[in-house]
Amino acid sequence: MKKSSGARMWRSLAEYENDPEFTKYLHNEFGTPLTDTPPNSAERRRFMQLMAASFSLAGVTGCRWEEDHLLPMTRQPEGVIPGVPRYFNTAMELGGVGVPLRVKSYDGRPIKVDGNPDHPDTQGASGVYEQASLLEMYDPDRSKAPAQFAGGKATETTWEEYRKFGLKHFRDLGQANGAGLFVLSESTSSATVGDMKRRFMQSFPQAQWFEYEPDNRDNERQGAKLAFGEIVRTHYDLSKAEVVLCLEADPLGNGPETIAQGKGFAAARNPEAGRMNRVWAVESSLSPTGIQADHRLAIRSAQVVALAAALEAEVAPKVGQTATQAAGAAKFLADEKIKKAFDALVKDLVAAKGKSAILVGSTQPPEVHALGHRLNALLGNVGSTVSYTADDSNPELRQGLANLVKKASEIKTLIILGGNPVYSASGDVDFASVLKGNITSIHLSLYRDETSHACSWHLPLAHYLESWGDSRSFNGSLIVSQPLIAPLFQAPSIAEFLAWTTRDEVKDGQQLVRRALGERAADDKAWRRIVHDGGAVGSMGSAVSPSLQTLKAVSLGEAALADLNPSGPLEVTFQADPKVYDGRFANNGWLQELPEPAMKLTWDNAAFINPKTAAALKIEDCSLVTVSVEGRSITLPALMSPGQAPGSVRLVLGYGRTHAGVVAGAKAPVAADPVDPVGVSVYPLRTVATWDAAQGVKLASSGTKVKLATTQDKHPMDDIGRQGTQARLPQIVRQDTFANFKETPDHVKHAVHHPKLLSLWNDPVSYEGYKWGMTIDLNRCSGCAACVVACNAENNIPVVGKSQVLRGREMHWLRIDRYFQGDNPDEPDQVHNQPVLCQHCEHAPCEQVCPVGATMHSSEGLNDMAYNRCIGTRYCSNNCPYKVRRFNYFNYALPLTEDRNEIERMAQNPEVTVRFRGVMEKCSFCVQRIQNAKILAKNARRKLKDGEVHTACQDACSTDAIQFGDLNDPTSKVAQSANSPRGYALLEELNIRPRVTYLARITNPHPDLIPATAAEEAEEVKPEHHG
Amino acid sequence: MDLFVFPRWSNKIVPLVGALVGVAPLYLIGLVWYGAAPKTVSVGFAPEQPVPYSHALHAGELGIDCRYCHNTVEVAGVAAVPPTETCMNCHARIKTKSPKLEPIRGSWESGQAVEWTKVHDLPDYAYFNHSAHVTRGIGCVSCHGRVDQMPVVYQHEELSMGWCLDCHREPERNLRPPSEVTNMSWVPPEDQLAYGKKLREQNHINPPTDCSTCHR
Repeated sequence: MKKSSGARMWRSLAEYENDPEFTKYLHNEFGTPLTDTPPNSAERRRFMQLMAASFSLAGVTGCRWEEDHLLPMTRQPEGVIPGVPRYFNTAMELGGVGVPLRVKSYDGRPIKVDGNPDHPDTQGASGVYEQASLLEMYDPDRSKAPAQFAGGKATETTWEEYRKFGLKHFRDLGQANGAGLFVLSESTSSATVGDMKRRFMQSFPQAQWFEYEPDNRDNERQGAKLAFGEIVRTHYDLSKAEVVLCLEADPLGNGPETIAQGKGFAAARNPEAGRMNRVWAVESSLSPTGIQADHRLAIRSAQVVALAAALEAEVAPKVGQTATQAAGAAKFLADEKIKKAFDALVKDLVAAKGKSAILVGSTQPPEVHALGHRLNALLGNVGSTVSYTADDSNPELRQGLANLVKKASEIKTLIILGGNPVYSASGDVDFASVLKGNITSIHLSLYRDETSHACSWHLPLAHYLESWGDSRSFNGSLIVSQPLIAPLFQAPSIAEFLAWTTRDEVKDGQQLVRRALGERAADDKAWRRIVHDGGAVGSMGSAVSPSLQTLKAVSLGEAALADLNPSGPLEVTFQADPKVYDGRFANNGWLQELPEPAMKLTWDNAAFINPKTAAALKIEDCSLVTVSVEGRSITLPALMSPGQAPGSVRLVLGYGRTHAGVVAGAKAPVAADPVDPVGVSVYPLRTVATWDAAQGVKLASSGTKVKLATTQDKHPMDDIGRQGTQARLPQIVRQDTFANFKETPDHVKHAVHHPKLLSLWNDPVSYEGYKWGMTIDLNRCSGCAACVVACNAENNIPVVGKSQVLRGREMHWLRIDRYFQGDNPDEPDQVHNQPVLCQHCEHAPCEQVCPVGATMHSSEGLNDMAYNRCIGTRYCSNNCPYKVRRFNYFNYALPLTEDRNEIERMAQNPEVTVRFRGVMEKCSFCVQRIQNAKILAKNARRKLKDGEVHTACQDACSTDAIQFGDLNDPTSKVAQSANSPRGYALLEELNIRPRVTYLARITNPHPDLIPATAAEEAEEVKPEHHG
Repeated sequence: MDLFVFPRWSNKIVPLVGALVGVAPLYLIGLVWYGAAPKTVSVGFAPEQPVPYSHALHAGELGIDCRYCHNTVEVAGVAAVPPTETCMNCHARIKTKSPKLEPIRGSWESGQAVEWTKVHDLPDYAYFNHSAHVTRGIGCVSCHGRVDQMPVVYQHEELSMGWCLDCHREPERNLRPPSEVTNMSWVPPEDQLAYGKKLREQNHINPPTDCSTCHR
């Protein structure tokens, strides 16, 4: 038996070094003994749910349960059928970009958010923020009423009181033409807010309006200005690109067009159809795109500009143009590995002329964006893979707050429309002191946050699921949002608030939107069509073809020219968090508990640092470090992160909230029982000048170790020790190169050599009718984790909190394993994602050991869980080779006895049982969706059609990595996908016949960069002696 | 050595254990008798409703079809208790002064729901779908009894898992033509079992008995 691949694979540094911590998880599945106490009271508040009503049933005397009551409507609107979900198109706006959505509403309650399948921008897929926004609406910590603040102390008040105050206040201001009136808003593409802004400025001509956004795309806009002399938006069609170069861009993980680009990426990564793009990622920290990249160069963020300039200098002469930049003088480009890759990259780009795309991330300075435009033009990509539309949005979002502070002396009244600038101000902008001055400040927001407490008035704001609105998607399409539910807490939208303030004759949110949309929405029928569709069809922004101006040679600083020495100069990068964004989603339990894509960190932020750099600085893993830049400093835990560029430390925004709520942290006296903040805020370290990255950083370790709840070592799939692990990992995550695949497509099928598989059982069921199965394409999964949040929402999966995650008790039915590959723990050659969920084995090992028949096989091949039979022996989990079963150690479900839970329970899916303490649970293949679809089809006396049943994870996936359906139907997508030569079963040698087929990852390395050993190996392994 | 000798008082345990063993069968019989009693499994449960609505009058004497009020039964999981509006369709003109109908008129004016008590209350983890049964030809009467003869509706059947499975394993005992589902006094033209078998074949009825059929 030959080793199928020489490359070593590992999930964490602890595993790489065979750390005792890791072996503990390997040998003791359940970690801590059952005598373990439940979390203490402070922690308990944090997860909102533990224990409360669990024993109230102890005193039940009869067998008749509590009486239920039926409350029918008095007048039932037409088309409403109780218990039948309805779907509505709406939209969510984030950072000035709208995302078209379709929301499922159950008896008047929105319970699931998905992308709008009929809209080209989402095609049904969605991201983590959209998925989790549902829980945000039902957050009991949301502000429920206006309040007045003095010295940080809240006095509850009412809308009546505010109206009394506001009427006089704004009448006086109106008489003064609005002198001294200032407004600070978030960036928005809403025509309604734009219209209201115009009217507001008419009512208060001397008022001044500022916009601020902690995570923005200013660089992109200024880069466009530098390159074209005008601001344009760049759109990439990844489906047409053969070679994709990402200069710290993350099209699959983070960006305004992530979902559409995921679809494009998937289309260009279809080896069966002979399509396989090549992705190059140049980045300082590991991103979802970097994980999927065929080649990844980890360099400091500040060095990207040097690489881009060198690229221009090399490429231009090769396409018959004069280079504007000097040839690469940067020291890091002389590094042997980088040099080789760089040369191959140049070759590759030139060879794929007109079919490549160069993407630049929003954290890169304008010069790099300009170089990107220049390269795209040189390579003839404009018009094929790259197109431009006009952009009239505010290009100065990062200075907005600083500009406002400069006018502090003029401010008499300040209205803050959304956002949390007191928390998200950069370290050099002292916004808090502006509010401390003798001014009237009014803050509208979903929560009573840090900013609310510094203002004189706080007013609650409606959630997007509660209000009318409109926005533009990134390509300029008009999308409309409609309310799914009346505001839970009597809160207005921003437009409604402005209408009241300007004493507009129109007050109703819907009418405000219609008025702003003018002609388009004037006709009732046309308006209903727009609302029904979720937007106006064909309203995309008009394409422009800007002409490139002559680029000056960019000046490269010391940091850009440095080498890759791990003990060289240090930089920090500031990035929006992939989970809580800029901090606005911090109080969302689903997001806090979601493992972050690269390092699988939950419930915390950390300084992500390259292990070698850490060693050079004598920093230990998970120890507290003080990061200081120009006299500003913060202290947070360091996390050794393979794949992080040497000398670059990644910091994420959004943590360290002090006035968020019981999930993210609330200080006394804001909360009666204070809750410590989750993580540390990195905003104080940032300045307007060092927005995306800061150089000249000092790191000092305090030596204090802290516990970080990462999930990467949890639920290891193998129990046969290190040797076995090494032998098996390449069989678990299978891969091949595109060149090999074209020769022997089914090469990966032969990665495991086993004797003829004999079954212990007769094959009992023939699975007539439906035979449910799933395929997961490792070639497409970016690890963005939208599927995990979608699963949370669909299946009522509880949030358990940091202390439980540390014990390995997270409840996610679907986890995304991430494997590093390579012999260098600092710089892995490859990174792989593998979503793992219940495999619904035909010979399921869990079923054999259940003493009470609580987990049974269905006639369609599902591995069913009957929760009420389960007595909690956990044998099934012991016997599951995939470790996908999750045990309810406590009553995580929200007891109704606590008032606050009543709101949050409204988010739960009524079609799925809420599990009790002591019960095992796991992925059900969304059996509720299967059953409902089957019933509907049977009522109509027909069979289900392919595509009628989707799982929640499949719906969310933007790269179509997950397919689900009937394997008995040879024309179904899933059956065709399962028949792929790349298909393999996880641990197939156990002969338990899983129903999930994984499609091996196919990499497409540049021929110049294929390591000699890999090339030999490809020759060596031939499909022989098996079966 | 003393450690391994039972103390003297332990001798008393022996008769105690004997007594317990003697009582055990009685206890078991009692437990089963109580556990399986109709009262325990809710058969006959007939709660008082806010309005003394009589199915015997409306469905029986007046012959109103079940689906006039329970109009979602063929398309939805729940049969739906009708909105107040359905009552008012008639009672806006008939018996407009009846004190018994006061809650209905009150609800109609205030917009507040009438709070009916659920008679047929399945556990929350059991997902029963009316449409799936009614459209296949399981009559209302099979589960709810002769509602048209009930002045006060009560639970007629056990509604236990074993009771459900009996029919899922042998649906021919209860199958009828789908057109006759609301006909309370329908009688099979021939022997029910033989007729049911015919219908089963004709309408492709194969009720599943998987856990996930009802538990999700």
